[in-house]
Amino acid sequence: MATPTSLPETARRSYWGNVWSTIKSTAVGMGITFRYLWSKPFTVQYPDEKLTTDERYRGIHYLEQDLCICCNACAKACPIDCIEMEATRHGKELEWHQFDLDYQKCMFCELCVYPCPKDCIHMGKEYALVTEDRGTLNMDLLTWQGLTEEQKVRIAEAEAKKAAKKAAKEAAAKKKAEQENREEA
Amino acid sequence: MKPLTIIASALPEAPVSEAAAPQGNGLTEMLAGWLPESVPFWGLTLMASGLAFGVIMAFVSVVAMFSTWLERKVAGHIQIRLGPMRVGGWHGWAQAIADGVKLLIKEDIILASADRPLFKLAPALVLGTAISTFVVLPFAPGVMIADVHLGIFFVIAISSVTTIGVIMAGWGSNNKWSVYGAMREAAQVASYEIPLGLSLMPPVIYYGSFSLLEATQAQSGWFGMHWYILDPSVMLVSVPSFVLFFVATLAETKRAPFDLPESESELVAGFHTEYSGIRFSFFFMEEYAAMFVMSAIATVLWFGGWNFLGLAALEGIPVLYTTACMLVFIVKSMLLVFVMMWVRWTLPRLRIDQVMILGYKYLTPLCLIVVFAASLLEYLRFVLSN
Repeated sequence: MATPTSLPETARRSYWGNVWSTIKSTAVGMGITFRYLWSKPFTVQYPDEKLTTDERYRGIHYLEQDLCICCNACAKACPIDCIEMEATRHGKELEWHQFDLDYQKCMFCELCVYPCPKDCIHMGKEYALVTEDRGTLNMDLLTWQGLTEEQKVRIAEAEAKKAAKKAAKEAAAKKKAEQENREEA
Repeated sequence: MKPLTIIASALPEAPVSEAAAPQGNGLTEMLAGWLPESVPFWGLTLMASGLAFGVIMAFVSVVAMFSTWLERKVAGHIQIRLGPMRVGGWHGWAQAIADGVKLLIKEDIILASADRPLFKLAPALVLGTAISTFVVLPFAPGVMIADVHLGIFFVIAISSVTTIGVIMAGWGSNNKWSVYGAMREAAQVASYEIPLGLSLMPPVIYYGSFSLLEATQAQSGWFGMHWYILDPSVMLVSVPSFVLFFVATLAETKRAPFDLPESESELVAGFHTEYSGIRFSFFFMEEYAAMFVMSAIATVLWFGGWNFLGLAALEGIPVLYTTACMLVFIVKSMLLVFVMMWVRWTLPRLRIDQVMILGYKYLTPLCLIVVFAASLLEYLRFVLSN
């Protein structure tokens, strides 16, 4: 009697065919797993070694503070308002008070990077944000705090210049007023 | 080693006359040598039992720890990952110790609705039966707790008592999943006990003895390579009988692809769902102890026990020889344990009907054929040698 061909292959095999196919398929499967057993694992031992991130990876920002002019363009572009900055102007010199980026809110959308007129804010490669204290996630992006000696000198110079300019202007105004008085007299 | 001696060895010993002194074993004799003569025989027996229990328990713990570590490493590497790498430095060797400590200090939860006596007794029974099978394993010449005349029979009988412990655990947990697991275990072990026993018959017929020590000694020829599985005159039955035994062993020890009692993806964790802490670890130790015992039986009957090429050359140096023999025996057994792990991470779990089909429609008839072939072969060898 011919076996109906509509049955699945496993049902059409004979008794010894089943025995043979079981042994054979198990042997083939075990051969494959044995090959895998000796192949090099894909796993990376994370804290010790890290995978290299992509060129365009969007990690924690870094700021080129020397270039920044405190124009607030990035803070305005930010859709969730996580950037806050403050600086006092002394002529062309800036006295920074804060440049905070709150990583509890930040979604790494990169929208703050494009509007920067000085091209001074970038997305970095660092991604490890694990912390025991949420407060530390509100990060200060300033590369330095306070002012260097050189800067203090430059600020002092700028202030002196400003004061001199003001004094000169006042002197000029006084002179002018005196002249007008004399003419009247 | 002739066929008729099987029957002789299977019969009970002639009854000892009451006048004869009670017979001890090597351990009691050793203790009697150390202790004063006033110590009674029952005291010696008690001490010998305690000593044997301590040694076996320590060995089982180490084997279980090493096996869990090996299992995780093998699983990891087969899946192209690393497995434990941190604890203890080199490739996470102390992972099993850390796990053990963790299980020890965990809360031991017993459900309010559980059957307390059964629930508490089950892990002890399961582990107790598993470690009592170690009593008959011949590790090396002279390193063997008891040379039981019916050693193979003893192991098969005792190891199936584990099932009762598992059923107790399942029933005592008062949990549907646990009872399902226990029922599967009962059905599976009852079915696979037949092929397991039958597949042990070809070597028994070959050695003409149920004793594991005699089986090992019979394979010491050819400079230690006269293993049953390597003997060309019986290879036709020794290789198939080993394969059948190995498959039955996997089912008997609840290993994948026959891990239906546990099957974590359908029954949570099967019969030990409700167990925690040290009781849970008892079930795990039992699994690895049973794996080692079954591998050791296969080592003794098919792979020459402690015999290895050229090992007899060391016979003059007692300590070194014993150590080398033990090492050979344990390495051979662990290799078979490794194969069990390898199978586990290769094959998917069977359905319960597939397990039953494999047991009753394939393994049992094939075992009967192999036993018949082995008997015929042994008869031919007997006729030809005379």
